[in-house]
Amino acid sequence: MKFQIPIGPQHPALKEPISLRMTVEGEVITDADIRLGYNHRGVEKVAEGKNYIQNIYLTERICGICSHSHSTCFVQGVEKLMELEPPKRGMYIRYLVSELERIHSHLLWLGVAGHEAGFDSFFMYVWRDREIVMDLLEMITGNRVHYAINTVGGVRRDLDEAQKAKILEGVATLRKRSEYYLDLGANEPSFVARIAGVGLLSLEQVISLCAVGPTARASGWDRDVRKEDPYAVYDELDFEVATADTCDVLGRVVVRIKEVLEAYKMIEQMMKNLPDGDIACKAPRKAKPGEVVSRYEAPRGENIHYIKANGTDKPERLKVRAPTLGNYPATVEMLKNGFIADIPLIFAAIDPCICCAERAVTLVSARTGEESVVSTAELRKLALARTKNAPVKRNAVWPL
Amino acid sequence: MTDAELIDKLKADLGDRVEIANPARRRLFLKVAPGDLVAVTTRLRDAYGVVLLSTISGVDLGTAFEIIYHFSTPEHDFNLRTEIPRDDPRVATITTVIPGAILYEREVQDMFGIVVDGIPDGRRLLLSDDWPEGQHPLRKDWTHDRPKEVIPGGQS
Repeated sequence: MKFQIPIGPQHPALKEPISLRMTVEGEVITDADIRLGYNHRGVEKVAEGKNYIQNIYLTERICGICSHSHSTCFVQGVEKLMELEPPKRGMYIRYLVSELERIHSHLLWLGVAGHEAGFDSFFMYVWRDREIVMDLLEMITGNRVHYAINTVGGVRRDLDEAQKAKILEGVATLRKRSEYYLDLGANEPSFVARIAGVGLLSLEQVISLCAVGPTARASGWDRDVRKEDPYAVYDELDFEVATADTCDVLGRVVVRIKEVLEAYKMIEQMMKNLPDGDIACKAPRKAKPGEVVSRYEAPRGENIHYIKANGTDKPERLKVRAPTLGNYPATVEMLKNGFIADIPLIFAAIDPCICCAERAVTLVSARTGEESVVSTAELRKLALARTKNAPVKRNAVWPL
Repeated sequence: MTDAELIDKLKADLGDRVEIANPARRRLFLKVAPGDLVAVTTRLRDAYGVVLLSTISGVDLGTAFEIIYHFSTPEHDFNLRTEIPRDDPRVATITTVIPGAILYEREVQDMFGIVVDGIPDGRRLLLSDDWPEGQHPLRKDWTHDRPKEVIPGGQS
């Protein structure tokens, strides 16, 4: 007999609203469905009514983890539309923040992956080290999450020598520890046994479902926007695209740690070659009619903005595609034929808790389909009675 | 292959079915008629290795809708655009060629009210289930009136 397990949209373990419907047969997932839109804020529509400077701060608020990637993607598109040549020093600082953000995002993911695999000391070690990079970001930009360092034509804050020294010091510490995590993540027998072979996604599926980012690279698809379409400073940096060919969660862990190691390399190069000069150039308020496709490698994969200008100070159209949307069709495939216990691992980045999700309200016998504990209707009656007596705000006087 | 070489090759291959613009390095904009969309996409996939669809953008031009399919290969970006009339907004699905296009096509259906013919899963993606029919937020003539905020118990 088939069961459908709904997870979300409102769920204690989900940080964000998304609805997953798993059709399971015993322990095995036979089908998965993802429903979106619970957090749709209409950013694209709002952007049409705001000017370019306001839109930098709007796009920054699309995501709370990779906030810099959206604002950078938008800003580099607008700079193309306005035909600006931003000064090199500003570009180095902007993409320095990009790489630091990649480190913090990947370390966050690694910690969550460790936690979901039941390896909580890994989670705590990684998140302790993530604080180093968060402190660096705060020192450079003044903020821990929404850095607000981008502006059209450059960046808003400069670096001094003391800050450079601190960045290099932090990166040196992080590198030593990340190398240890790579060793641990790829070799620790119990951790590897938990994550190897889970969430399989073949290269053919990656190609046909248009998966992006570390998810795709863990299946041997070596596409990285920084390499193939090097924007701003990336053609001056020496780095490699991290890939793995295991096609599973183990590969995704390895790819992310390798990417973090590459990011340290890039940061050291940027610090060594940081040019002198201005950090921003003056930008016009309006952009000439035209269109631009701006691509950016965010921590989760390719981020693409399509901006169309109509000659005023507001964009005619701003289309945003965040990498996670591109990975949903692939996620469905990864979940299929997996076990219920693997859902959190496969979905680690979204981080649902399956123990809570499995709280079945009705126990149905798998053989006969008979409801045994409490019927849905009865449960509903109980729930309604409970809601009526609950201390809700219905007639309360609002304290403000 | 440089951009110019690729454009020559595409012109020889696809003939007058496409209009090619190349506003920046790597960026190719190919304009096709809606009827040729699936055929051109198939040809691009099979002969040029164009398999990665990044997204589908819809643009409201006033009298028509423009749909742009953003593809990329390691060497080039292919932006395939087509225009469909506003009073009969229909376009064929490309999920038969690129299965990963499904979510983007559903998004275009929601946001612009464009009907994607032959879409395997045409449910709403972003709009809620109780969203009124015929309301498509990204059309230019659609405006949002924020409903008045009601505070339970009233303001004291």
